[in-house]
Amino acid sequence: MDGAGELYIGYRFNHLEVYEYTSDSQDDILVELYFMDTSDDAFGLLSLDWGGDPVALSSSQENSSAGPKARFSRALYGEGLLRIWSDELYARVMAYRETPEAKEAVLVIGRAVTANQKNLPGHEITEVLSPVIESEWTLRKDRARFFRSYLVLNSIYYISPQNILDLDLSVDAVTAPYEKTTESGDRKRVRFLLVKYINPESAQQALSHFHEAFCPEYKKEFRVASAIQDPLFFEVGDSWLGYRLHGSHLAIVFDCPDRESAQKIIHQNILNIKEKEETIEK
Amino acid sequence: MKNEKKKLTRRDFIRGTVGATLGASLVGLNWSKARGAADGSSLVTIVRDKNAMDAAKNVNTDILKNMLDQTLIKFTGKNNVKDAWLSLVKPSDKIGLVPTPHLNPTHEELVNAVKSSLIDSGIPEENISNAQGGPDKPKACTALIGLPGLKAHWLTGIGTVLKLYILYSGSPRSYHQQDNSKLGEIWNLPFVKGKTRLVLVDALHPLCDKGPQPDPRYKWAYNGLIAGTDPVALDTVCLKIIMNKREALRGEPWPLSPPPLCVEAADKVYGLGTSRMENIKIEHYGWDEDLLL
Repeated sequence: MDGAGELYIGYRFNHLEVYEYTSDSQDDILVELYFMDTSDDAFGLLSLDWGGDPVALSSSQENSSAGPKARFSRALYGEGLLRIWSDELYARVMAYRETPEAKEAVLVIGRAVTANQKNLPGHEITEVLSPVIESEWTLRKDRARFFRSYLVLNSIYYISPQNILDLDLSVDAVTAPYEKTTESGDRKRVRFLLVKYINPESAQQALSHFHEAFCPEYKKEFRVASAIQDPLFFEVGDSWLGYRLHGSHLAIVFDCPDRESAQKIIHQNILNIKEKEETIEK
Repeated sequence: MKNEKKKLTRRDFIRGTVGATLGASLVGLNWSKARGAADGSSLVTIVRDKNAMDAAKNVNTDILKNMLDQTLIKFTGKNNVKDAWLSLVKPSDKIGLVPTPHLNPTHEELVNAVKSSLIDSGIPEENISNAQGGPDKPKACTALIGLPGLKAHWLTGIGTVLKLYILYSGSPRSYHQQDNSKLGEIWNLPFVKGKTRLVLVDALHPLCDKGPQPDPRYKWAYNGLIAGTDPVALDTVCLKIIMNKREALRGEPWPLSPPPLCVEAADKVYGLGTSRMENIKIEHYGWDEDLLL
């Protein structure tokens, strides 16, 4: 792997297998099978781009699409490239030149590599994102990304070239934009980020590092204990930033047009986490 | 005084203070003194031909040769290709051609066209080599001709001109991650500095997202050759093309993430050229549909 390795080792990567299919009448087809340690990691790689046409490669995928947890596609095809999340496998099957015959061959290969897979659901952290906030802000589910690495985060939403959120392979993180259209027809977009650390202490330490780097002018206003009790909000440039700690979770919202929006988005998503925790306890 | 390194964040990028912050963090507090002279305007030529590739993306080598000839003549202002080359290199030069080696590589047809053109202009074939690789490659050359492929890169924003020499560093991983803004320093290594006589960007079939791994949804037939000697001006123009293509695809601004800090740093910290569009003179010839500039 030379040139894109950091992307894959930004998840829990196990090994890669590469195959090339040749044909006398067609251009080659390249098959890359990325074996990850968990289904979540394969899901994360696919989540980096939900574009393309969803395709069902197995009957179990067709059935699972009706289930409540089947919120995301498992296989996406576009212009010769098929990308697949199937349990712990992330696959890229690419025809060097797209023709109807090449597309069919790509899909046949896709069906073969996903045969007998269980199709586990996407990571639970993506399930807590509130789809709508008070009929005002709508989640862009098609841009929800699951990740663990700050490099991957920076490729989605640039925060800092340094790892100021202490991200690593032990965390589960999701980010997505929320959007609303104003009365004047303008579209506003904010960025929501939710990270689940390995324990509350790690979350607190990460928030401390983040605040120090991102909001140095508010050094005096920062206390970890406050962010556990209530969300904190800061005017940074011409937008608002808000964050809150909840156990091992750190929720941050960027680019808000006002404090109230930040408050609503943080509040609703933290509420969802609490409800999910209560459901698990019961 | 407490010596605390300020951490670069998104806010510096939005405020437009990234150059100063990068300068201080990469070179130290006297970064502005380290900057080389990069004043004046830089010429970038773009030659395009709608038929440079067919519908199946096969390169038409005759048309490509014409595009190369036109590029050389227009860029140098000479009357013919031979004079154009001889204004850039000497027959005694050991010339290294530096293509993008893999993952959306430079078209082989372009590398071959450049080599043939040099030979036809009187450069001995034995004086021309492929100089992509480790530090020994540029050390063996007296002149370099960069032939990067135009592509976005998920770690550096853009992976075209400034990133082309990354293997010359001998430690390419040192220029990934948060250190990609230092890519410009490779161009100032003693065995690299001053050797680049021309950079010819392969913009026949660029990639505007998810690079370096190819994703055909983000590739398109631009059918162009982009030439210059200022690597920063070239990457700035290439960035503009990529950004405009991304916006056209989504119908809304679609910024590169991470932002290509290496381009601004190459200008403001390493003094390799200009990243300001107003200081770049762009001359365009040929097909002008969807020029994206």
